[in-house]
Amino acid sequence: MYVPARGPGGPTTPGTLLEVTGLRVVADGALSGPEVVLDGVDLRVAPGECIGVVGESGSGKSLAVRAVVGLLPDGTRTDGGSVRLRDQEILDLPPAARQARRGRGVALLMQNPFTMLHPQLTCGSQIADGLRPGAPGGPAVSGRRVRRAAERAEVARRLAEVGLAPETADRYPHELSGGMRQRVAVAAALAGDPDLLIADEPTTALDAANQRAVLGLLRRLQAGRGMGLVLITHDLRVAFSACDRVYVLYAGAVLEQGSPAELESDPRHPYTAGLLAAEPSVHERLPRLPAIAGSVPAPGRRPDGCPFADRCPHAAPVCATPGVLLRPLPHVPAPAAEGHQRLSACVRLAEIADRPGALKGGAPLPAAGPAKAAPADGAPAPVSGDPAVRTAAAPVPALLLEGVYRTFRSGAVRQAAARGVSLTVPQGRVTALVGESGSGKTTLARIAVGLETFDEGRVEVGGVALAPGRRPGHGERVRLAGQAQIVFQDPYSSLPPLRTVEATMREALAAAGQIRGASRRERAEWTRDRIGELLTQTGLPAGCATRRPAALSGGERQRVAVARALAVRPRLLVCDEVVSALDVSVQAQLLNLLTDLQRAEGFAVLFITHDLGVARQIADEVAVMYRGELVEQGAAADVLDRPRHAWTRRMLAALPPAAVGRPGPAIGPLGPGEQPLQ
Amino acid sequence: MTPRTPFRARRIPGVLTFVCGSLALILGVAAVAGQWILPHWDRQNLLTGAAMPGGGHPLGTDELGRDIAQMVVAGARSTLSGAAVVAVGSMLVGNVLGVTAGYLGGLTDMFVRRWADLLLALPALLVTIVVAGIGGGGYALAVAVLVVLTSPGDVRLVRAAVLEQRHRAYVEAAETLGLSRTTVMVRHIWPNVLPVVVANTLLNFAGSVVALSSLSFLGLGVPPGAPDWGRMLSENRTLLYDNPSAALAPAVAIIVSAVVLNLLGDRLFEAFSDRRS
Repeated sequence: MYVPARGPGGPTTPGTLLEVTGLRVVADGALSGPEVVLDGVDLRVAPGECIGVVGESGSGKSLAVRAVVGLLPDGTRTDGGSVRLRDQEILDLPPAARQARRGRGVALLMQNPFTMLHPQLTCGSQIADGLRPGAPGGPAVSGRRVRRAAERAEVARRLAEVGLAPETADRYPHELSGGMRQRVAVAAALAGDPDLLIADEPTTALDAANQRAVLGLLRRLQAGRGMGLVLITHDLRVAFSACDRVYVLYAGAVLEQGSPAELESDPRHPYTAGLLAAEPSVHERLPRLPAIAGSVPAPGRRPDGCPFADRCPHAAPVCATPGVLLRPLPHVPAPAAEGHQRLSACVRLAEIADRPGALKGGAPLPAAGPAKAAPADGAPAPVSGDPAVRTAAAPVPALLLEGVYRTFRSGAVRQAAARGVSLTVPQGRVTALVGESGSGKTTLARIAVGLETFDEGRVEVGGVALAPGRRPGHGERVRLAGQAQIVFQDPYSSLPPLRTVEATMREALAAAGQIRGASRRERAEWTRDRIGELLTQTGLPAGCATRRPAALSGGERQRVAVARALAVRPRLLVCDEVVSALDVSVQAQLLNLLTDLQRAEGFAVLFITHDLGVARQIADEVAVMYRGELVEQGAAADVLDRPRHAWTRRMLAALPPAAVGRPGPAIGPLGPGEQPLQ
Repeated sequence: MTPRTPFRARRIPGVLTFVCGSLALILGVAAVAGQWILPHWDRQNLLTGAAMPGGGHPLGTDELGRDIAQMVVAGARSTLSGAAVVAVGSMLVGNVLGVTAGYLGGLTDMFVRRWADLLLALPALLVTIVVAGIGGGGYALAVAVLVVLTSPGDVRLVRAAVLEQRHRAYVEAAETLGLSRTTVMVRHIWPNVLPVVVANTLLNFAGSVVALSSLSFLGLGVPPGAPDWGRMLSENRTLLYDNPSAALAPAVAIIVSAVVLNLLGDRLFEAFSDRRS
């Protein structure tokens, strides 16, 4: 294992590497004045320790560490608290001194491997830029040619450290895959031999296999170098699989802290418990996911006292008392080692901890028991009532794909998104199409609603046949509209930005030719009632009809998108990664909503997702796509519990291990497909 | 970390916008009502020709003894109204062609783009001079030619903005609902490219003020005798030593209106963009 060469005077004192106490960050709003974004955040990192900072969007997790490196975005500033790096207060240092510390004291690894490397420099030179003077190959060695050779050797060594071949030094970032770019970025971040590496969502943009490999790499490097590592992530599983200690952040405050094993088996804050319960498991289908109500409040709208109080099932008046602080758990024995204390910010912990299951699986919901949904797991019971009649009367499948091919050409490069795909979505059933990014699943979804053309094969949407090689004309599109509707991934672009929700909905109703009534007034009344009905059905407050999308949260926008699609009463609802941009707690709400609506209305669903847990939770049947081909399909329980195809097995194996402490493959050697560049 | 100084940073654009807005208002009033407010702008007095400022003539007089200050006010009409026609006309052409080409793509897009490329390849002012010269000059002809020559810029800009919106999910959702192409273009895409359109129209307005003044300066715009800043600049430049303000006043008017319109266009664009995010 490589031991970093420290420059003269390198810090060697043991103790705390990073200590953040009472950190407060405010944002200067354009009109509203300063808003507190982070309020009293405490973090500690010991040398050689890996901590996780977990939080949903809006929790302030990225801001907290950006404050540490002094890279807060414009308009935000620290407003109190202290950040001590190796016993030196750095908030008081002038900007130039802080700049000098970046890279050596602290290094930051960013999220997106596609934008964080300089596109016009070779990977080698980006690593060499960070090498430290005095280190082998650093600029202090005399003689240009000698220096060059030493530098090259050092860069090669650094590349080997992250599992890449020396030739990678001469490549440009665009020649590498996302996983390889992330490795180059890791090598570049470590070039200055930092004491502390902060990784901001380092795996979010990667697919499951690469995700696991990069996490394992970070963990190995951290252990080998004795470096501190702060891993920021929205994914509890990722943090649990890689960290020694995890801080749970919510709305600008730390709510709980503990080791992964403790947090997972025995959460001591209703929020952590709720998050854990809201995560769909790949191993069982619950009748309802225990979702946390509401969404993360914006900085100006946080409740006084405990920031989680307005969503907490156990909230009491005492929760509104200001001054919510992390405190050690009273009944937990003295900490084994310093910094390994269990902390929770819940003021009512003593009262609610004794309630059976209060902190397990979001107990207040009646359906949150561990009981499996027996009928949902195997072949689901046929939908009863009217929808069943509809199913029986219409033997035509909701979607029929037969031998569908689609190849994208860009210059000389040809990429097959679909290679002879045959898939049937029966009426009234939920089919999940799973696969990694680039497997062609979104292309299929778009073909099904006529947004994408296909080269050959047969596509019938509820009996409406689409012709290969051309986009559907207006007449076809109108007929198709009554059969299939789509909900997109990105809630921020799927609604017309300048129109109110009501205008969007009215247009959808008018497009479907559904508006009834003899007079103009009757029609207006009918429309208003129907919009109200649709919004209620999708769990939206009546007041949101007059709002524009910008005033809605991501989860609310996605609900509006669902309502718009359902306004047409389609027989098939295509959901293209509809929950992947949402926070876990909101994701659970939307999955429950879709399940409820589907059971009530009896439409068929083609649900595109990369998340096997989500697929298990929502689908009756699962089809697995790999590089444009359908490699496996069958009942959800069969495919996910007894995978037959090697690719399905690999996808399942790549999931972060469910339990901590289990010697999961996450910290093991590189996975297959992660070989150094040949 | 040095906290920004939000106070000054936010005040200056506010003051600037106010000043620009007021100036634009004054220019507008002068353009619409200048010749009614000052009906005697063209009164000549050869005895007091080419006089320095003073004696009832705050900016002096030109060779024919006409009051420069009154002429500058009266001249706003021909300069600004022509420029407005150019800007609005080119906006209309640009929007219709840009939105259709950007949304429909294919052959339509190809023809529109080739046409725009062709016109952009021509040196606009030179073509205007040649056409206006052959066609015997005249204000209307100059304006018409400028509309044709300014529009390809608008076409390209609108088309690019449409392409950006074209594949947004909300547009595809509208298509999936079975809405007609015209509805998608007019009601979904167009409102979202409007900020760019409005801002660019003001910038075109500013550019056209200069272009029309140049044509008038060359004698290809308004007929002799009509009040026009470009024409005044051209006729009075010989008086630079007798009464400098006779040439400088219209020049300043051209510069001020161009700057004011440019700044307003920028501010408007920012305001529109803020509203969307």
